[in-house]
Amino acid sequence: MIEVSRLVKSYRDLKAVNDVTFKVEKGEILGFLGPNGAGKTTTMRIITGVLPPTSGTAKVAGFDVFESPMEVKRRIGYLPETPPVYTDMTVRAYLRFVAEIKGVPRKQRESEVDRVALRTNSDKFVQRVIGNLSKGQRQRVGLAQALLGDPEVLILDEPTVGLDPAQIIEVRELIKSLAGKHTIVLSTHILPEVVATCQRVVMLAQGKVVADDTLAGLQKAHAGAATADGGMGPAPSLEEIFLKLTSV
Amino acid sequence: MRNSIAIAKKELNIYFATPIAYVMFTLFVLIGSYFFWSLVGRYEQFSLMYMRVNSPEMMNRLNFQDAIFGPLFGNLAVILIFLIPLLTMRLIAEEKSSRTIELLYTSPLAPRDIVFGKFLGALFVVTCALLLTLIYPGIVQLIARDTAGVEWRTVLLGYLGIWLLGAAYLALGMFFSALTDSQAIAALLGFVLALLTWIIGWAAGQAEGTAREIVSYLAATGHLEAFGRGTLELKDIIYFLTLIILGLFATHRAVEAHRWS
Repeated sequence: MIEVSRLVKSYRDLKAVNDVTFKVEKGEILGFLGPNGAGKTTTMRIITGVLPPTSGTAKVAGFDVFESPMEVKRRIGYLPETPPVYTDMTVRAYLRFVAEIKGVPRKQRESEVDRVALRTNSDKFVQRVIGNLSKGQRQRVGLAQALLGDPEVLILDEPTVGLDPAQIIEVRELIKSLAGKHTIVLSTHILPEVVATCQRVVMLAQGKVVADDTLAGLQKAHAGAATADGGMGPAPSLEEIFLKLTSV
Repeated sequence: MRNSIAIAKKELNIYFATPIAYVMFTLFVLIGSYFFWSLVGRYEQFSLMYMRVNSPEMMNRLNFQDAIFGPLFGNLAVILIFLIPLLTMRLIAEEKSSRTIELLYTSPLAPRDIVFGKFLGALFVVTCALLLTLIYPGIVQLIARDTAGVEWRTVLLGYLGIWLLGAAYLALGMFFSALTDSQAIAALLGFVLALLTWIIGWAAGQAEGTAREIVSYLAATGHLEAFGRGTLELKDIIYFLTLIILGLFATHRAVEAHRWS
């Protein structure tokens, strides 16, 4: 569904993304990991068409992001690091506007807004002005916005930041329930989140892919020394693998 | 176009949800009313004076258009120089500083939808502000109903001129908003450029020959006065349309360039 191939993004001498290649299959939830500044957000911005790459290609549903941006944008819901909300609008007015620019037909707009508000538990505060909402509420509005129009692909940049533990669990459940029908790229720092939701992991460090495997595969590859009787060593936690791969 | 209207509606939602539109209307009508009131006072003085010296010839020459509406439109235009940057400063700079621009970039919108939609939204606010000032010719019409009354054709042409001027200032102001993510800088630059189209007219007085013609064509004053006199000439329309298209085009380029930086 998503094919990123030899992607490079450089800012003068700095290569924020350096030869990144990975694939996401339809219906899969991909955990996109890496320390701050590893190039996760830049890669996501390229896939969603916010930024052009310096070289390399990104394809969504077979369409090149650069050559047919409109086709790609029609298929993507994106939640950036900071939820892109207008603080002076009410939640409902905001979601209506996003539904409109995403091309949701007029007759379905209201029901679509209600659907995503309910889905993200934002329905209690749809009449309120976004500027007066808490950080967690804004985050949920941002997530609701990404779900509008039921896009095939969801790109979520740290969707659980600012949420309280109960909300984090809710959002995780929501993301899991979206799997299968939607293809999801989930960037996060919170490793248990990946364990809880993702089938596969791509790990970036300093702009490069350092791991691209299933969770089980990663654990197998980085297992401790074999025990005396020839069995597997203790399975390392994702945390250990993360620290090992991303430390320089 | 459908996308532009969606953007325009969003801009209006914000203009009217925040004090911006109301502040604009209040200031425009408040200052406009002061000018109107003093122009009417002057008209009254002149007509009393002409009556006293018993000069029907002078009396005939005194009309609402030259004594009230012509100067009034000039004054309203000057208020626009101050108020339009208030509308345009946030248009794109705010989207950049609050990062909502990413939402627009990841939606199936072309940059021209964004630019034109924002322009339409702000133009609607300016149009409303101008419509509010229709009370002035309305008042004159009511009071002077037993005389010839207001020359509506001339007054409406004056309005067309000032509306075009407002649209030009909007397009140019939006360009500065697209260059920066600081609203203050966008407002200041928009204000200076609008002011420049005004003061360049004074420079024309000192120049001579071709230079004078060029400078006075570049100034907004002469074109606006032509509309105020009730003449509709292609060169004046082209002047304003050029500024509008130039502003929109430059904004479009700035938005595109922003994505590539």
